[in-house]
Amino acid sequence: MIDIISNIKGRIGEFLTTYTRSLPNCHYADIRLEINDTRWASAEDGKPKAAGRDEGGSFGIRVIGGGAKKAPGYYGRIFGLKDIDKLKELIKEGLNHAHARALANSKNKERLSVALEGFGKTLWDTQLSSVEIHRDTVPAIYQIAPGTISPQEILRLSEEASKRIKGLSGIQFNDITVYTQSIGELFISTEGALIDQYFAYTQGNVYVVASGKEGQQELYEYVGDQRGWEAVSEGVNVQGMNLLDFSMRVAKDALALADAKPFRSTEKEAVVVTDPYFNTLLSHEVIGHPTEADRILKYETAYAGRSWFFRNFNENFIGKQVASPLITTYSDPSLPGYGHYRYDHEGTKGKRVIHIDRGILKEFMNSRQTAALLGAEPNGSYKATDASLVPLIRMSTTVFAQGNTDPRKIIGDVSDGYYLWGMHTPSISESRENFTISAIKTYRIHRGELKELYRGGGVSADSMSFFMSVDAVGNDFKIYPIANCGKGQPMQTKRLGNGGPTLRGRARVVGGG
Amino acid sequence: MIPIEILKKIVSDGLDFIKAQKDISDAEIFASSLSHLLSRVNYTSSIPCNGVEEPKSTLSYGVGVQAVFKEGNKKRMGFGSQIGDISIDGIKSAVEKARLSAVEDPDFYGLPVPSANSGDTLLNSELSKVSPELQRLMDISDEQLVDLGWKALEGALMTFKEHKLTESIIVGGDISIVQERMAIASTTGIAAWDEAANASASLTAMIESDNAKGSGWDIGMRLSDFAPENAGKSAAMSAIHSRQGRRVPSGKYRLILGPQAIADLLCHVVLPSLTLSVVDAASSTFLKKYGQRIADKRLTIFDHGAMPDLPMSRRYTCEGLATGRTDLIKEGVLTGYLSNDYYRNKVLKDPSSKDKIGAEPAAIERAFAPRNGFRPGESMIRNFMGRPSIAPTNVIVEGSEITPLDDLMKMIGEGIYIGRIWYTYPINGLLAGDFTCTVIGDSYIIEDGRMAAPLKPNSIRIADNIHNLLNQVIGITGDRKPALLWGASEVIYSPEIAVQDVSLYCIGE
Repeated sequence: MIDIISNIKGRIGEFLTTYTRSLPNCHYADIRLEINDTRWASAEDGKPKAAGRDEGGSFGIRVIGGGAKKAPGYYGRIFGLKDIDKLKELIKEGLNHAHARALANSKNKERLSVALEGFGKTLWDTQLSSVEIHRDTVPAIYQIAPGTISPQEILRLSEEASKRIKGLSGIQFNDITVYTQSIGELFISTEGALIDQYFAYTQGNVYVVASGKEGQQELYEYVGDQRGWEAVSEGVNVQGMNLLDFSMRVAKDALALADAKPFRSTEKEAVVVTDPYFNTLLSHEVIGHPTEADRILKYETAYAGRSWFFRNFNENFIGKQVASPLITTYSDPSLPGYGHYRYDHEGTKGKRVIHIDRGILKEFMNSRQTAALLGAEPNGSYKATDASLVPLIRMSTTVFAQGNTDPRKIIGDVSDGYYLWGMHTPSISESRENFTISAIKTYRIHRGELKELYRGGGVSADSMSFFMSVDAVGNDFKIYPIANCGKGQPMQTKRLGNGGPTLRGRARVVGGG
Repeated sequence: MIPIEILKKIVSDGLDFIKAQKDISDAEIFASSLSHLLSRVNYTSSIPCNGVEEPKSTLSYGVGVQAVFKEGNKKRMGFGSQIGDISIDGIKSAVEKARLSAVEDPDFYGLPVPSANSGDTLLNSELSKVSPELQRLMDISDEQLVDLGWKALEGALMTFKEHKLTESIIVGGDISIVQERMAIASTTGIAAWDEAANASASLTAMIESDNAKGSGWDIGMRLSDFAPENAGKSAAMSAIHSRQGRRVPSGKYRLILGPQAIADLLCHVVLPSLTLSVVDAASSTFLKKYGQRIADKRLTIFDHGAMPDLPMSRRYTCEGLATGRTDLIKEGVLTGYLSNDYYRNKVLKDPSSKDKIGAEPAAIERAFAPRNGFRPGESMIRNFMGRPSIAPTNVIVEGSEITPLDDLMKMIGEGIYIGRIWYTYPINGLLAGDFTCTVIGDSYIIEDGRMAAPLKPNSIRIADNIHNLLNQVIGITGDRKPALLWGASEVIYSPEIAVQDVSLYCIGE
């Protein structure tokens, strides 16, 4: 079904070029169009709950127009497959709205550039940094196409996983939700870009509440990949487990934690060793987000926050040491997983962006507009979660680079400290200068060995002091999926990749209140 | 937007089609048309910018069908939706999807039936007349949308200018117009429709060199008295007042929590725990607490989806049932849950519910009144692509004993007024009740019973447990103010609440 895109791309491209010529003061326009087909099911406590198939499309339009101070205007719409035949009319209506908004925006900008006196000087004439124009088709990666799997087949797997968990003593509640999805995306611009890309995603969510000696414990984890049905049926994912094995592992962990004592916060900093699964959330929150150029340029002040890396063009950490020389971090859409793509949502080819090079802050993820503002080369990081929504600067796959130390030695060299495994919940300060991230499991390390298991432990630290304290980086690099990163207004919940190897540093380890 | 008359007609016609299907015993047809217009503001005095960064909108409409299919003695329930097709063909397509994906859910006890005061005459055109104010919000033009964004920005910048502040200024936020229309009809007698729109402004202003940040909000249902420039002015004035903020050391503090801080805690910790689906999943922090005191006896919290002139008031839920008031916490005692029809029935019939609720469900049926069966999606609650879940509407917090703010500060003596918190999460899962967040603006150090100095934004983290907070109340003011939260559809109206012995940690030194 998503192949419809290959049939309509030529027509839409011609229409965009022709119609925008008739719009006065329209300097640039692009269309992002998407068609998706999602099949899903859920089971709860061994009982079937729901199943379904959703299919539809959406498109989003950007126009940059106006007079002396060009400005953007946008429009987004969700459509049904029946609308395919009248897509040109819908797009025309959208172009008219986006164009009217761009012109009204430009007019206000011009007026206030004068009326606001000093404040008017930064109201700029909107520019997009130039990029190579591509015409390309990128196929999806899968062995078992999502479109071949029925909702009832998904339900059978969900139900079986849920039944198996229910059979474990001490499990109070469980919920399994599974989906498999095909997406086709089209990007067309008045500069001549015409790119269609195809994606497959499959994911299983596992939620368990267990009861044990120390009370109740809830656990939510997911397994998935940018793959077909094989991601959950055959275990073709970073966890290396199919859904049945993965959900059983989550349930057994919940039971073990329900028997574990709650962690009590340390008064002072301690040695902490964090595993790749925990560092997935750490790299996401404290490396990825503060290196997004829209945060750097303050666009997110009212929402997701700014970045401690960059106060302004005179006061910032670019070229300065922000981490131990053992730490290198980067974002790279060519890596496999949820963050993989060839082109972003304004047709820029994605490339590796080095954020921290052996402790020194280097580059940010950007879009064509933010690249123009920062005087940087566009690196293909402008993405929307649905074509009807305006793209934002987003992580592709943001990671800590691999080190060269065996993780067993990293733990073995610790006299007294803590080992934190698995990502649980983050709470990050506004500019990402401080973080608290809880782990699924916290172990005490004594004389180089893992000892007691605790629940409810986490790391709390100022970002820079923690990164400066890192004295060992493992050779066990892994990329995990992040399924639900929220950003933007309205909120866009995105899938992407994060990860890294085992790290050792110093921080407060915090428990329950 | 699709006219309400068309939505009403299709759900009515759709029922006739359903009744002719031999394998369907019951069905519910929901049709909606949704639009979200938004003018996103981004201004920086030291970096080139667009001022109004994103004047934009999203539009969608379609139908969703829940149908009960007969299969011998078995009953299977399915849901299907069709985007962009408000016609019998669209209904047929949704029914076919429902048929292909139907499941035998043992916890499904039937589609909702009309409550005593619900039910419209679908084709009664007299009822379809909308107020001129609602019509103006529904008809907003591209130029008006853009102008509202610039008005908000102008309000903030002119305020800074009047105070001779021109450097290191940031203004961000948005003007948001939500437009919704829906109609629903079922074989069980539900027949209802509704349309609603509201306009909101949420602005943040900063003097970044002074680490000073302020917020301003406005929300209403009338374009004629919607003034986003006032939200801009409030945000700028709050930033101006919070310059040269001071740090405080880590420790236990007396706090006065302002409306936004209360709203953030309710949204992320308290309201999810008072949602019946969460209690049913055994993950509420208030498990087994029905009828017990879970908060200070002066504290009352209720949801009210039918309160006149409030932005989230709707005539009917997305199950076609009447909206209304649900007392969640009354004078400190847990008295009710946010619920829809499905979870109400499940909890009433599931033997394990008693243990989760802490009382015999049948004896407290009123606590599960299904007044919050909405279909949330992208800042709105009428999404035709999903089955009804549970969402709060207008949430009201009030105290039975009112203490004026000045008196509350005198009672506190030494402490902190917390005006805006951020990234509040139940850090160890909802069950545990532990939460943490950081304080990002609009906050002041209280000394000698008065606001003595601003608190430096991003300098403290709150880390405590919600049970401690709810039970360590010192006093509550009387003036309720609305708070809009990023990513949440509900609007929470709260006074200030003073609490003691809250753990704060100094960060970002």
